[in-house]
Amino acid sequence: MSKEIFVIIEHRRGTIRDVSYELLTKANDFANNIGGSTAAVILGNELDEMVQHLKSSAHKIIALKNEKLGDFHSEYYQEALKSIIEERSPLLVMLGHTSASYDLAPALAVAMGLPLISGCSDLRLEGNKVITLNQVYGGKINAEYSFETEKGGIITLLPGSVPAKPGGLSAEVEEVNVSFEREFEDKVFIQFVESAAGEIDITQAEKIIAIGRGIKEEDNIAMIEEFAQSIGAVVACSRPIVDAGWLPKDRQVGSSGKTVKPKVYIALGISGDFQHLMGMRNADTIIAVNKDPNAPIFGAADYGIVDDLFKVVPAIKDKLAQL
Amino acid sequence: MNSVVCIKRVPETAEATLKIDPANRKLEVDNLVFGINEADNYALEQALLLEEEFGGEVIVVSVGPPETDEIIRMALAKGAGRAIRISPENLSELDPYSIAKLIAHELEDEEYDLIFTGCQASDDGFSQVGVALAELLGIQHLSMAVKMETEEESATVNRELEGGLMAQYKLNFPAVITIQTGLNEPRYASILGIKRAGSKEIRVVEPGSWNEKMVELNKLSFPPPGKMAEIFQGSPAETAEKVCEVLKTKGLL
Amino acid sequence: MSAGDLEKHDVLSCIQCGRCTAGCPVSIRTTFNIRGTINLNLRERKKWIQPQDIWSCTTCHTCASRCPKGVGIVDYIMGLRSYQVERGKIDPAARDALESILKHGNPWGRVREKRSDWIGENKVRILQEGESTEVLLFVGCTPAYDPKAQKSAQALSRILAIAGVDFAIMGNSETCCGNEVKRMGELGLFEMLVEDNTNLFSKYKFNKLVTISPHCYNTFKNEYPNLGDKVIHYTQFLVELSEKGKLKLSNDNEAKAIFHDPCFLGKQNLIYEEPRTLLKAVLKEELLEFDRNRERSQCCEGGGGRMWIEVDSDKPRTAEERVRDAHYYGAEILATSCPFCLLTLSDAVKTAGLEDKLQVKDICSIISPGEGEKDGQT
Ligand SMILES: Cc1cc2nc3c(=O)[nH]c(=O)nc-3n(C[C@H](O)[C@H](O)[C@H](O)COP(=O)(O)OP(=O)(O)OC[C@H]3O[C@@H](n4cnc5c(N)ncnc54)[C@H](O)[C@@H]3O)c2cc1C
Ligand code: SF4
Ligand code: SF4
Repeated sequence: MSKEIFVIIEHRRGTIRDVSYELLTKANDFANNIGGSTAAVILGNELDEMVQHLKSSAHKIIALKNEKLGDFHSEYYQEALKSIIEERSPLLVMLGHTSASYDLAPALAVAMGLPLISGCSDLRLEGNKVITLNQVYGGKINAEYSFETEKGGIITLLPGSVPAKPGGLSAEVEEVNVSFEREFEDKVFIQFVESAAGEIDITQAEKIIAIGRGIKEEDNIAMIEEFAQSIGAVVACSRPIVDAGWLPKDRQVGSSGKTVKPKVYIALGISGDFQHLMGMRNADTIIAVNKDPNAPIFGAADYGIVDDLFKVVPAIKDKLAQL
Repeated sequence: MNSVVCIKRVPETAEATLKIDPANRKLEVDNLVFGINEADNYALEQALLLEEEFGGEVIVVSVGPPETDEIIRMALAKGAGRAIRISPENLSELDPYSIAKLIAHELEDEEYDLIFTGCQASDDGFSQVGVALAELLGIQHLSMAVKMETEEESATVNRELEGGLMAQYKLNFPAVITIQTGLNEPRYASILGIKRAGSKEIRVVEPGSWNEKMVELNKLSFPPPGKMAEIFQGSPAETAEKVCEVLKTKGLL
Repeated sequence: MSAGDLEKHDVLSCIQCGRCTAGCPVSIRTTFNIRGTINLNLRERKKWIQPQDIWSCTTCHTCASRCPKGVGIVDYIMGLRSYQVERGKIDPAARDALESILKHGNPWGRVREKRSDWIGENKVRILQEGESTEVLLFVGCTPAYDPKAQKSAQALSRILAIAGVDFAIMGNSETCCGNEVKRMGELGLFEMLVEDNTNLFSKYKFNKLVTISPHCYNTFKNEYPNLGDKVIHYTQFLVELSEKGKLKLSNDNEAKAIFHDPCFLGKQNLIYEEPRTLLKAVLKEELLEFDRNRERSQCCEGGGGRMWIEVDSDKPRTAEERVRDAHYYGAEILATSCPFCLLTLSDAVKTAGLEDKLQVKDICSIISPGEGEKDGQT
């Protein structure tokens, strides 16, 4: 079996996504530990510029080219990846745990008869076993999963599991022109659609007060808005708040919402599921208020208050008024 | 239009105190309350809405222990026609691939236009079964649907990408669509409705011990407390004071 | 609704006088007009009419107490609601509350294991199966979980302890009484709760069942089998204690207070005097009264599922009107004896901008103020 690690590069509208550099960082570490090497596998139509960006981050770059690969389409991606993986038998194929891999990885694994562990935050090799660390039950419990590497295997890594580091490598580039024997006319990509834009841009905000399900009722939001105004912050939220129609979609922080990097992020009644954390973990200072001492948000926060937000928020308002 | 909906019974863990069994393989469930996985509930609603619009039947499938009948009955009460419960002996050890395989096997003789699943289960968070199932059945799939406009034989579906962006696809049937929460507004299953649904068929399949899995669960553990936040202690007035101090020292007031 | 059902609720005898709508607290705020709904139904006897605005009804009972023909208006509304509940298409918030009751035994989506967390430092005995107590205190979901209403549970248990009463609670085994469930038209779930709770009660021995909430009181007293005589609202029980000399009340509270009659205590169960007796015993000044008091008391919009269901309206909530009135009458304390009133009115104090001028308090918290409440803060 080879000791090559394939990292499937994700890009959208001509730009490589951050998660790919994180994956490469992780893959290079992993490869170093086992005396193997990394290959960044990028699929697309016009790849030259993106390939340049990847050069220092992997031992090798495999650029799979075809006009059908321009925008992500799981079926074409699957076909192209299947043949290269069959041909090269890498030890491990790594993808980001992202919308692309949700659509691609499980089908690819089944099609190739390979084991798949999705959504892990760490991995290691022990003997002939790949062992991963996963967060389950909303991040309240860690699980260790494993598979045997005889035939290889696939893992998808949670975005944000490692900070991306420069690789200091210089990759040789291998270009492969892919051809497809069939067209996937039953599943056709039409276009990208932006969610409707509102007037407040939370991604630009310096101070964010974010509310989650702990806010309990729509009516309670008024009190938070007032608090936010008093310190010049904007109100953002977790997704259930948007689902409930309490705040518009563009206030949602997280993997399916916005990524924010404010100076301070105050999370009120947010449990801190990973999808949410992904959108705010890079804030300079995170303060969390949650009744549940075991809420995962405290794992991401710099400061925490284990208490009822309906007690803490009025108290903060009072203190601010005294200042 | 016939649809199959795959649903999963999961514990509600957001506020509960969790305990792990002595073998570190399972969650202790005595104090936990179970319900239908959130995204699956939206998947079910989508199937029911299509049945109301186009006619046909909704078939519910779940791999789970006998207690799963609780959520199956609710689905039947909401309007699903019949259900299949698959209960292998070594259920708690199964990987998503095995689950998909078990479901695919039972669907061989069914006629369907669409198969819906939730996009993710709240317990293991794998997001695999729906898409793996499509591959096993050799049909189209699209994951993370947040908007869906359906016609007789195809649908235009927006799938959710990161950063508030969506990708729009046209999908011909038969297909598997995994549903993201928020796509619709799930209905309520009344208790009388659940009782009445007692007469609807739940076909129980007991495949014995299942040995085709590819991924093993080694152990469960609690995350190390090390990276926890500095927790402010005291009354709301005291903790509030400390928050204000932090804001002040960072020059944010 | 079928003619048979209409007959069951005496709807057929309606003379369309409109007294019901004239007294209805929500007819002013919303499109809901109960006389009109009945009118529509009388014209379409065979059909199930499905007006959405019946969810505005707070089941306060004002209409029924005003109706000259004795039409069972509130039962009729619950019947119409149950038809929609059976179809599953109800307000998502109502759905979540009902699902939570089925799963967790409370409408607030909170886990059962935290139901008795309100006890905190207080000394409260939790009854074990087979044990007996003189008084079984039924805390209720809202006083069990809601931080504001928890103060009532804490205050009442302090009072009972001081009075030397042998009392206990059912701890985390306690389950929603179902009063609101029934009023939201989820009759199947209500029946199930009655059965489960009856079963649960049979595991303990007690002589009195004291409730904090008039809503629990109402259903236990009037709708549960074999419980009636044991059920007593805490205001009644405290008056009993004070009459027997076990509870000493001294009139040293200098605040000006006004009493808001909760619909489920007053209009629906005719308990008007006991709350007033208690307040008069602790107040130095004379107890203030609303013009609309007792059987004419204005509903706070907390009943009938309205704790979870929002209605469309551009007019202020009735609770807001109520707190403005209380302020107008010169009250510093708006006293009530219902956790829902406590919450709706406290909220209204904020929306009315009266935070510095008016406090909403449960009578038991006035009798026994908690930490930090003694000098007038809440
Ligand atoms: C594919 C996918 C994408 C997703 N994308 C996103 C996303 O972009 N953003 C996002 O946020 N979510 C996203 N989610 C949903 C995510 O998984 C969680 O369900 C969600 O973040 C939970 O929101 P929450 O923390 O508000 O609610 P909960 O998890 O219900 O947590 C509520 C918290 O409030 C606390 N609480 C309750 N009452 C109080 C009180 N009075 N005082 C203090 N604390 C209190 C509770 O202890 C609890 O921790 C996504 C899910 C999927 C499957
Ligand atoms: S008060 Fe009674 S009789 Fe008069 S309209 Fe209303 S229901 Fe009919
Ligand atoms: S019960 Fe109250 S809210 Fe409902 S219709 Fe009658 S008066 Fe109006």
